[in-house]
Amino acid sequence: MTLGRMRHWGVRLAAAGAVGIGLGLLRTPDRTWAGLLIASFGLAAAGVGGVVFIALCTVSGATWPVAFRRIPEALAAALPAGALGLAAVFLLRPTLYPWLAGETLHGFKGAWLSPAFFFTRAAIYLGLWALFAWLIVRTSRAQDHDGSARHTARRIKLSAAFVVIFALSFWLASYDWIMSLEPHWYSTIFGVYNFAGLFSCVVAIVVLLAMGLRRAGLLQPALRDEHLHDLGKLLFAFSSFWMYIWFCQAMLIWYTNIPEESVYYVRRLEGSWATLFYLNVALNWVVPFVLLLTRQAKRTRMIAYAAGVVLLGRWLDLYLMIWPAAIAGAPHVGIGEIAPAVAAAGLLLLAFARSFASAPPVPLRDPALSASLHYHS
Amino acid sequence: MSRHLSVGLFDSDHDVLAAARAARSAGWPIVDVYSPHPIHGIDEAMGLPRSRLSLACLVGGIFGAAFILWFEIWTAAVDWPLNVGGKPFNSLPAFIPITFEMMVLFGGLSAVVALLVVARLRPGKAPPFSAAGVTDDRFALVLERTSAPMTAARVRAFLEAHRAVGIEERVVGGEDL
Repeated sequence: MTLGRMRHWGVRLAAAGAVGIGLGLLRTPDRTWAGLLIASFGLAAAGVGGVVFIALCTVSGATWPVAFRRIPEALAAALPAGALGLAAVFLLRPTLYPWLAGETLHGFKGAWLSPAFFFTRAAIYLGLWALFAWLIVRTSRAQDHDGSARHTARRIKLSAAFVVIFALSFWLASYDWIMSLEPHWYSTIFGVYNFAGLFSCVVAIVVLLAMGLRRAGLLQPALRDEHLHDLGKLLFAFSSFWMYIWFCQAMLIWYTNIPEESVYYVRRLEGSWATLFYLNVALNWVVPFVLLLTRQAKRTRMIAYAAGVVLLGRWLDLYLMIWPAAIAGAPHVGIGEIAPAVAAAGLLLLAFARSFASAPPVPLRDPALSASLHYHS
Repeated sequence: MSRHLSVGLFDSDHDVLAAARAARSAGWPIVDVYSPHPIHGIDEAMGLPRSRLSLACLVGGIFGAAFILWFEIWTAAVDWPLNVGGKPFNSLPAFIPITFEMMVLFGGLSAVVALLVVARLRPGKAPPFSAAGVTDDRFALVLERTSAPMTAARVRAFLEAHRAVGIEERVVGGEDL
């Protein structure tokens, strides 16, 4: 897919999504706001996830992703759109959160979830992510001019700082923005669970964008099957990591069986919710696990199918976390749920294509580029 | 039946890799390459088929998971039903961690055992090949002279052209290598 077509489709999807959101707000406002929270959180996470991908590769000394590093770099451009969506939900529909709708909480929880503190924190999380996205991407763009290794040294320092800051802020953000929809329920592993979803989603997006750009000839000599193979390993690994953390949360709550904890699962196993509950496991782990098992699969179109399934699973995962908490009754998927997701996909494509076009498709003067080009997985 | 071998010793992995590639494209049978560390791309250069070790790992893993799951269900719910915390006897979530661990254990051990069996490695086995330095800082490419055009002199010239630092000719019994 060329950048022009990407932009074209981005505009179309975003416009169609915007019309759909408008209709949804008229017909099923509550569900549309919940759908907006799902899509905005997913979009913001994908954007900051691009930076997390770079930071993790940088601090672990991995040079193999350098050849396609411009993809996660450009993905970071999706962060502002996601942040805007989140801000819209928080400011225009705060009543999605029971404690913003008048329910009084006590003790530390009451102080933590006070409106002013909540909004300040949200601004700090998003501000920090945007700042580090800008700083880290800037080192890469600056290296295009002089090829100096000091940009790499700076990227390593920034990445090390960001990994710590991101871990803490994303953990708290997933508490604030998702877990507090059910303020009496808690799970200490919830932040890790959300990180697992974020990272497998980011790897899936990078795989799809890389394959699309390669077909358009944009990354033709640089991106090789060896790179896809290792991206496939990462997707396989983080899909399994997601399953591991999913099980850690579910099993401990099942085992102790304390009502204030198990209520979360009781709600999500009632009636037709149970089907979606197990479908979530299938889409995020079983299907990608089986599809990516062989070496051949990681080097062919199969990896794209696996990535597509993981993205569907990511939406369903967020739907299962957010929707039952915000809306009562049986699951529904209609315009209120689909339109925000379509708009988010459009905005992601649009932001990505614009940012990707603003620099050479490969960081040509990165000292590690040659290692990445001659890489054997 | 005895086999006539030419052994080229090299100082670097680059050289042995290049020599193996050249030998293969010249159609000369490569008996083996000896190296103190794994060399990226040597399988391809030697024309080795893909390792089937992962298959042994998969089968072992599936067996381990299935076996222990059956064993847990049998012990906890069939042979001696135990009430643990008021949970049902057959409580699948409680069995999953052990199932996972045993899958990893059986998968890993199967791969190791399969390697030992396929490579016919056993305690006390005499080394089939020895050359100074191949467990230290040397790399060896072993070629077999099977046909008339592969005279010892031509193979020697070929190895020298690929920067071999030492060349030996050996005659071994059919089963030795």
